[in-house]
Amino acid sequence: MSDKNITVPVNIDEQAVANQTRRSFLRKSVAVAGGAVVAAVAANQASAAAQVTEPLAIPPTNKILGRGVVSIPYGLPSKFEAHVVRRNVEWLTPDTIASISFTPMQDLEGIITPSGLHFERHHGGAVDIDPKTHRLVVHGLVEKPMIFTIEDLKRFPQKSGFWFLECPANGAMEWNGVQMDSVQFTHGMVSCTEWVGVSLLDIMKAVGVKKEATWFFGEGADGAALQRSVPLPGAKDQFGKPISDFDANTIYKDIIVAYAQNGEALRPENGYPIRLIVPGCEANMSVKWLRRLKFVDKPLVTYQETRHYTDGMKDGRFRQYTLVNETNSVVTFPCPDKKMSGKGSYEIRGLAWSGRGKIKAVDVSVDGGKTWTEAKLVDPVFSKCFTRFTLPWEWDGKEALVMSRAMDETGYVQPTLKQLIDERGTSGIYHKNSIQTWKVSANGEVHNVQLRSL
Amino acid sequence: MFNSEVSKSAFGKSVLAAALFAVSSFAFAADANGIGKTITEQAIAPWNISVHFDGDGLPAGKGSVAQGEPIYQAKCAMCHGEFGEGAKGYPKMLGETVEHMTELAKKGEDTVGVRGINSLWGHAPTLYDYIRRAMPFFAPQSLSNDEAYATTCYVLYIAEIVKDDKLVCDASVLKATKMPSQDNFYTDPRPDVKNARCMKDCAKGDPVVTQMAVQGVSGDTSRNVAKPANH
Ligand code: HEC
Repeated sequence: MSDKNITVPVNIDEQAVANQTRRSFLRKSVAVAGGAVVAAVAANQASAAAQVTEPLAIPPTNKILGRGVVSIPYGLPSKFEAHVVRRNVEWLTPDTIASISFTPMQDLEGIITPSGLHFERHHGGAVDIDPKTHRLVVHGLVEKPMIFTIEDLKRFPQKSGFWFLECPANGAMEWNGVQMDSVQFTHGMVSCTEWVGVSLLDIMKAVGVKKEATWFFGEGADGAALQRSVPLPGAKDQFGKPISDFDANTIYKDIIVAYAQNGEALRPENGYPIRLIVPGCEANMSVKWLRRLKFVDKPLVTYQETRHYTDGMKDGRFRQYTLVNETNSVVTFPCPDKKMSGKGSYEIRGLAWSGRGKIKAVDVSVDGGKTWTEAKLVDPVFSKCFTRFTLPWEWDGKEALVMSRAMDETGYVQPTLKQLIDERGTSGIYHKNSIQTWKVSANGEVHNVQLRSL
Repeated sequence: MFNSEVSKSAFGKSVLAAALFAVSSFAFAADANGIGKTITEQAIAPWNISVHFDGDGLPAGKGSVAQGEPIYQAKCAMCHGEFGEGAKGYPKMLGETVEHMTELAKKGEDTVGVRGINSLWGHAPTLYDYIRRAMPFFAPQSLSNDEAYATTCYVLYIAEIVKDDKLVCDASVLKATKMPSQDNFYTDPRPDVKNARCMKDCAKGDPVVTQMAVQGVSGDTSRNVAKPANH
């Protein structure tokens, strides 16, 4: 037996090994492949010249009949993908009811997050609401206060879009140094979805919103009855200071009341039967299980706008209404969850997003930020949506510091952590959109590091 | 100013389209005809419980610090502590003072774990709103308006925001109560940092890797290296 001759399979899933039907087929390759991994990593050999000489076994699935149609009426992922799940961090919150779970960024392909992997953030747990009894009330500074059933909402013209939702606490554990050695936990409070629903503008027209309305708020039908103020043109804060033009004049135009997600009804964890979607903005504003919209002439300045979702600054004051999620990006291969398997050809891959519009460019560095190369943006590139970037990489088997830096169509360039900390300090919790660095070691392992020198 | 925005919406376009095809016997104009029902404010009232920072929306009723104590001790203390000091990782009612928290922030020390109602909460009326809508955690919206006033009054007292243990809270008292951190907020001035898109010779010397994660934290929630970040 020659290790050099075997190139596949390198990473046999333990579950696959345990699988009865495949056991005999795999026994040999596992043993050989196990040796190959050790040899490849230890000697750091490129496998490009390796050759398979042993005659291939016939896969056992060639010799059986599979399942019939509708034996699984609603399809599920392959059982070999069981490791691709949302995860939580137990020590972050005292229970799982007012808590957060993270999307496995390392396993996402393309730009869409499967609905069942969308990160969750609940303040009073996820509830199951009967769409037949659910109602949306729209009132306040309007000509005609109205109440809608879900069926009513579906009679309005549809509006849809591909938009990311990001909890502003994404990355929050990393302000004071590295804590999480996984892209799921450093960046997994973001997901991207095709959302379908009714334009807020159409609902505003139906109820006749008065021009004195400078804010509205949405409220949930969950135990938190979560409410969040959203600015409209002319919005001023509780001190009488105007909200920025971008926030007041553009955010509301994209907003929808969504009833569908990636081709089907919203998932309960994502607000079934209806939720607000406020594209580009911190996801807390996209109120789930939406039951009410009220048009008003001042903000609520509620719990979610003072005690939570305000950014503590180094002078002791707190920024409020930091609504937009600024340009962010992360390399999802390689990453701590997806290591290198020997030197040679790879494609560096990652995701970039901006709450202010389209991603214009993403640059990648493998030398800790000394030199940067522009990556390819993979079509489609949509506004306020995940954008996939790729860059071919010939890894020489030496230590590398891999980073990505995104720029959006406004010209804003994703900052370094040092720039954020110099400006804000380390107690902000929210809106940490700094450049992420992964350290690739000669043995192929990948770890989360910070380059505070940059 | 909305009207011009609204007319750009789907309705606006469809109305135009309908006008062009007016010869058709069907009306292709999208409108909200027959969609939804109007509703009276009286019918909305049970849902219309939101209170603004200035007290707009506070209901009639009242409750005292003394009436709030037994409610708090029976329904709140298990999570927020007998004295409001927090329990089992649940939020504190009484945190560091604004002055001390500001000092910590200026020294570059962490202020995440020390926050309470006294150090980070905008206005007393929204404290009432929050307690009435979301607490006690295990039974939200179970307190009557008077019980919510009493519990709010007691929380203000143990958070050392009001000193008078004879206080009776109602709409006018909550409107007049000044929260210590009320003026400590300011509206987003971002973008606040400006990175340049440097491509070559961007850093002098070799990069200094200053921090490395503890190996294997991924997926293993029992291993952690620092205090929780509180969202
Ligand atoms: C079972 C535990 C539990 C009980 C009992 C409970 N709470 Fe809470 N409380 C929480 C949780 C969890 C949060 C944070 C919710 C979130 O993250 O959105 C919270 C938040 C709060 C806050 C906001 C504080 C902050 O800094 O975040 C206040 C005020 C509050 N509770 C008051 C009360 C009162 C008054 C009662 C009794 C009527 C009560 N709570 C009972 C769990 C509890």
